[in-house]
Amino acid sequence: MHAAFPLPDVDWPPTRELFAGAARGELRVTRCNLCATLVWYPSTPCRTCGAERQEWVTVSGRGTLFSWSVVRFPWIPQFKSIVPFVTGLVALEEDPRVRLVSRIVDCPIDDLRCDMPLEVDFRPLRFDGVDGEVVVPLFRPERR
Amino acid sequence: MTGTDWGFASDLDDVSGQIAIVGVGDADHSKASGRTTYEIAGQAAERALADAGLTARDVDGLMYVPFSGDQMDAKAFHAHFGTSHDLWTSDRGGGMVWAGSAPYDAALAIRSGKAKYVLNTFSVAWATQRPQMVGGPGHVHAEDLYKQNLEVPFGWFPQPVYFANMATRHMHEYGTTSEQLGAIAVACRRHANLTPGAVMKDKLLTLEQYLASPLVADPFRKEDCCLISDGGAAYVMTSLERARDLKQPIIAVLGVGVGNAKSGVYWSQQGDFTATPQQFAAPRSFAMAGVKPDDVDVLACYDPFTIVSLMQIEDMGFCAKGDGGKFVSGDTLHFDSGKLPYNTHGGMLSHAYVLGIAHVTEIVRQLRGEAAAQVNNAAIGVYGGYTGPQASTLVLGRR
Repeated sequence: MHAAFPLPDVDWPPTRELFAGAARGELRVTRCNLCATLVWYPSTPCRTCGAERQEWVTVSGRGTLFSWSVVRFPWIPQFKSIVPFVTGLVALEEDPRVRLVSRIVDCPIDDLRCDMPLEVDFRPLRFDGVDGEVVVPLFRPERR
Repeated sequence: MTGTDWGFASDLDDVSGQIAIVGVGDADHSKASGRTTYEIAGQAAERALADAGLTARDVDGLMYVPFSGDQMDAKAFHAHFGTSHDLWTSDRGGGMVWAGSAPYDAALAIRSGKAKYVLNTFSVAWATQRPQMVGGPGHVHAEDLYKQNLEVPFGWFPQPVYFANMATRHMHEYGTTSEQLGAIAVACRRHANLTPGAVMKDKLLTLEQYLASPLVADPFRKEDCCLISDGGAAYVMTSLERARDLKQPIIAVLGVGVGNAKSGVYWSQQGDFTATPQQFAAPRSFAMAGVKPDDVDVLACYDPFTIVSLMQIEDMGFCAKGDGGKFVSGDTLHFDSGKLPYNTHGGMLSHAYVLGIAHVTEIVRQLRGEAAAQVNNAAIGVYGGYTGPQASTLVLGRR
């Protein structure tokens, strides 16, 4: 039985390796078998060549903050225990066209800037009132 | 990444000047009302037919959208009106992007003889349904497995959060400000204050009040976000020849364009994150109509959030890309003093969240000269439809 909404289903085939990799401390994304472009979301056609076959690869975990929002209002009840939080898009160093949706941690709100350097931080995700936890890739400001 | 490889225009036949919108009707727009979508669509359809001087028996074409499963299809139409005749039907109607593209599909049906009088309706009862989270704008997104696994766990949900991210990036790239987003909300509220039946008719909003309102998802305040409403509208289309025999002034369909984003409903991956597929839809529609942005007297765009208005205004060519913030500030969008009268009924921010269908009925009333916040001598009106994956541009003109 998989963890309940809004936790991810770690057994759903198209994204299973993302969460399996996170549990091992690796950031995994998919790469087109034909043209080697990174493809996101997994199992969607390659934006460069249209091919549909991909393999999972490990990337550096470095990127930049493409955009973000401080969510203050809990749009669903499960978010009540975590607001305010910062959710945004992380453009990967290897190909900034690939943007991972993630939460930004360990960064004061006033310090958030588009294009700031970030690095991955694997942490367990939990919600009050929801059973279970899943290790996911979150991002924090890059430590120099 | 900017550029134009992130989407494309649909190839459409030239249907300019072939059909007209001959009747419009709005249902009562409200907060939670206990009504069903069928009741709301039925009321809108009755009013549109009365406006056109037609009866339910005259309708031989019906358009609706299937996504919520509770729209006015043939069965619901006959149940409401007590009729049983044959109907040409199309599920490419309804609100959102289809409120702007339905006239294209209707034109093809009318010119090929499949139908003479085509009715397009859309209705929602999301205010009533909200406590149970049955339907509603977030529902369909929460059911998408990619969103469930790659977006929702990270709090990137629902729509206000997607578009707050777009606004943050737009501010970063182009220097857009909260005051500029506020100018859109204020203009729409002023128009709603003048419009009978607008949900926010009696609630004033100044720029100072907007700026003092708390943030809900930075940079958005609740005033940047659309209402949740019960309501709907309908319009009737027929050939230009038949329109001449009907009672209303002729409001012709001059242009239709449809644009598409390759990233579909996954906004996080949209190639140009701070743009809309209006970049692809609008030039085609304007070319079909033989008009330029400068010729447009009144504009109504699908406006779930202030930033979506701003991006569409840029992408349709009313100002240069990135200049939208400066363009909309001050009174630019006001019906009486502005360069580009915009959402003159109040839009989804302040009139009602009925997903664009009432934008089209408003444009028709503007071109007839019978709107509440009437633009002086409006002759060319445009609706910009939007779903995210697609955008549509509908050019209407007084004949």
